[in-house]
Formats: sequence, structure tokens, C-alpha cells
Amino acid sequence: MRKYWYIFQSEIMSSLQYVFNMFSRIVSYALMLFIFMNLWKYIYSDPKELIHNYSVGQMIWYVTVTEWIYFATRGRNFCNKIIQDVRSGNLVYHINKPYNYIHYLLISHLGEMFLTFILFGLLGTGLGYLLIGEFPLLTIGSILAVIVTAVLAIVINTLLIIFIGLFSFMIEDSNPFYWIYSKFMLIFGTIFPIEFFPKWAQGILNYSPIYVTSYGPARLFVAFDGRNFGIVIIAQLIYIVIGYLLCLAIYRKGVRKLNVNGG
Amino acid sequence: MLMAVKNQIKVAFLSVKYACMRHMLNKTTFITKVLFMILNDATFIVQWIILFSLKDNVGGYEFKQVLLLWGIAAGVYGVSRFFFYKAFSLSDLINEGKLDSYLVQPKNVLISVITSDVEVSAIGDLLYAYIVLALYGMNFGNFLLFTFLIICGGITVANISIITASLSFWFGKSDAVMDTVNTLMVNFATYPDGIFKGITKIILYTIIPVGLVNYIPVKLLIQFNVNRFLLIIGITLFFMGLAFLIFYKGLKRYASSNLMISRI
Repeated sequence: MRKYWYIFQSEIMSSLQYVFNMFSRIVSYALMLFIFMNLWKYIYSDPKELIHNYSVGQMIWYVTVTEWIYFATRGRNFCNKIIQDVRSGNLVYHINKPYNYIHYLLISHLGEMFLTFILFGLLGTGLGYLLIGEFPLLTIGSILAVIVTAVLAIVINTLLIIFIGLFSFMIEDSNPFYWIYSKFMLIFGTIFPIEFFPKWAQGILNYSPIYVTSYGPARLFVAFDGRNFGIVIIAQLIYIVIGYLLCLAIYRKGVRKLNVNGG
Repeated sequence: MLMAVKNQIKVAFLSVKYACMRHMLNKTTFITKVLFMILNDATFIVQWIILFSLKDNVGGYEFKQVLLLWGIAAGVYGVSRFFFYKAFSLSDLINEGKLDSYLVQPKNVLISVITSDVEVSAIGDLLYAYIVLALYGMNFGNFLLFTFLIICGGITVANISIITASLSFWFGKSDAVMDTVNTLMVNFATYPDGIFKGITKIILYTIIPVGLVNYIPVKLLIQFNVNRFLLIIGITLFFMGLAFLIFYKGLKRYASSNLMISRI
């Protein structure tokens, strides 16, 4: 375990060196919040109106949390890095190291995202308060619960992105699959709560990664409920196990292919 | 003069053609990228179906007009990233001193650089733009106007990227500025201007000219207006002139990294 702790620490140190590179992402995050604030304020003509039991303030906080998780995952570069490892053969340099490549990817990405997670969390809270003027009703316990579910959401997202990246073993460039995954998350996960979709779609979305990576943590933030917290955590743990097993399966299958090609 | 311009355009098209052919060597990846980009763009229809189920119009736009906005946004993005893809990584080329191989070419340096590669997925954006126009209601007139407007928009967006990237000649790394401006242009482009008010609206028609590249073209397609049409042409020429001026002014300060690079 100690080696992974060192990888985690070194990634945090490395990200501290490039903190100014986050500038354009910070602007993007702030901009998305600004656009959605304008959009929802336009849709809610009366500030006291409720749509699907969400007030305008709750909707903006919902987007703030989902976009926080979405931006903190920074999936595009990460997925691209895995694809390049597979395509260029760089993967060979990881195989002979005393760690598991999947564990390495997961831990190094979490380390790289650690600072982003904290910075964007603070920025989102500040911007949300600035735009709405009030916080949802939360206690210290419920804030901690939301943070735990947000961290687990990033772990699940990371595992699913590793799976998509490793799909490059099968086709040369799995980037297009990431685009679809990313848009699926953005449209169905970050912009609207599940209640906004038709009943038949809600049934599917409740069992999809959307529930554990976006809706679950954001819903807890805008309307905390202890029972709901338990359900979200259990669903997240199930998804982590499934995601991990999928990554291991595709990696083992892909590496065998790589051995054959390598001769 | 006209002959020189004609030759330059011909060389630029050939450069784009050969760059595209290089990417076509792997047909599966090529086709997957194009098709998945169409699918990727199409997912946003879900967002607008839900928003229009809550309100009849959003920012003064009805559903069909939002479709048109998406068509223009996808088309502008497609033209800029397919024909002038390197304009969006120009800052790195300047910083790393990798312009040498373009400087020795007999044609215009800037055009040689920006047309030297293509983004394959941008073909998907372009196809999606015309699919959306077909859904809106295509006829010969609006097809021509739409094509003209996305070409003008694509040129303007590429020129804005060139201007911000050229700052690297003076200030070193300007990629953060370039990325930020490009992000702002893309993100604002797909939301109706009616939802923004006051200072934001002014910024969208000046500092971040999304209004000139996306919103006015949509209004032109809905109702043609000669003044707006001339404004689009004027804006395109203005940014083109400014981009050339700043790039060539900066090029005098260019420092090579003496890297051996071959362009095949």
C-alpha cells in the first residue's frame, strides 16, 4: 500500500507545480455556472416557483455540485493518456514496474485531481453563494456525507474512464467512446436532476452511472436525507466493484494481445 | 495579385486534403470519429427537449430556432477545426520554436501553418450542422447562406485563436489565454443570447464575439437583412486583417529551437 501512497503524494506535489495551468478550467467552470444561473433564472419566471419540487436556488446548487464533480474528474486528458499508453506501447514501461497498472492509474489520477477537487469545491461554494445568496440547509455531518459521496463519485468516474481508455486494446482509438460517455454524463447527469426526465427514463437512469456519479451527491447537497445517503453509498460501492472488475478484465485480455504483438 | 490569392487558396486546400488523407489511413478510427461526433452533438437535443417542456420559448428562441443555433455553432466549429486546426495549437508551435519548417516554404507562412493538419471529428460537426439545417427546413437559398455564414464564422474563430496565440511572440506562454477565449466562444455559442442581460450581452458582441459569429447568423437565416449580412463580411475581413498583422509583427521576434523537423 505504501508505494501507492507515494504515487498519490508525488502526483499532488506535481499538480502543485502546475497550479496556474488550471486557469482555463477555472474559467470554464465559472462560466458554466454563470450560463446555468442565467438559464434557470429565465426558466423560473417566478423565484418562488417549484419545478419537479426543485426551487431555482436548488437547481443552481444542483448544477454547482454536479459540475464540480464533472470538472474535478478531468476525464478527457486522462482518457487520452491511457489511449496513448496503449497505442504508443508506453504501457510496456508500466508492466515491469512493481505495481498493478490499474491501481497505478486510479491512484495517480486521484492524486492529480486532489488539488482540483478542493479548489473547485471552494470555488463552487463561493460562486454558488454569490449567485444565489444562500446555502441549502446543511449540518457538518451532512456536508461530510456529501464530500464522501463526491469522492466516491470521482473514483467511479475514474474507473469507468480507465475502462474506456483500455478499450483501445480492441480498437485503435477509443476517444469517440469517451466523447459519448462524457456527453451522456453532461446531459443526463449534470444539467437536470433525474426527476426532470420522463418516468420510463427515470427507471433506467436510477440504475445508471448517472445516479452514483452526479445525481446522488448533488441531491444530498440540495435536500439531505439520511436514508438516501445510505442508498447512494451502497450503490456507489457496488459500482466501484463492478468498475474495478471490468477494468481488470479488459486489461488482462488486452495485455495478452500486447504480448502476442510484441513477440 | 488575384492569381497569387488563387494559388494560395489552392495550396491551402491541397494541404488540408493531404492531411485528411493521412488520417484516412486507419479507416475504422476515421469513420468512428466522424459518426460518434454526430452522435455526440445530437445528445444535446435531449437537453433542449426537456427545457422546452418547461417553457415555450427560451431567451426568445423557439425549438426550431435553437436547432438553427446548434447548426451554426456546429458548422462554425467544424469549419474552424477542419480547415484551420493548427490555429488552435499555434501557441505551442511558437513557444517551442517549431515554425522553422513552415518558414522555408514558398507560400504564406501563416496559412501553411494553420492548414497543415485537420481534426477528423470536425467532419462530424459539419455533417451534423447540415442535418440540423435539414430538420429546420432546408431550401437552396438558406443552404447557400448557411454555408457562407459558417465559413465566415469558422474563419473568424480561427483568426481570434491566431491573435491570442500570437501573443506568445511577446509574452511567452499565451496558451492559457488562447484556451480560455476558445472555451468561452464554444460554451456561449449554444445558448440563446436572450437569457443573458446587461454587461454580459455587450461582452458577447464585443470582447467575446459569439454574437457576431453565432447569434447574428441565426437572425440572418430567420430573416435576411442586408446590413447584418454586410456586418458579417466586415467582421470576417477585420479579424482576418488583424490576425495577419499581429502574426507577422510577432514573427519578427520568433526564435527557433533548432529542432530538426521534417514535414512529409
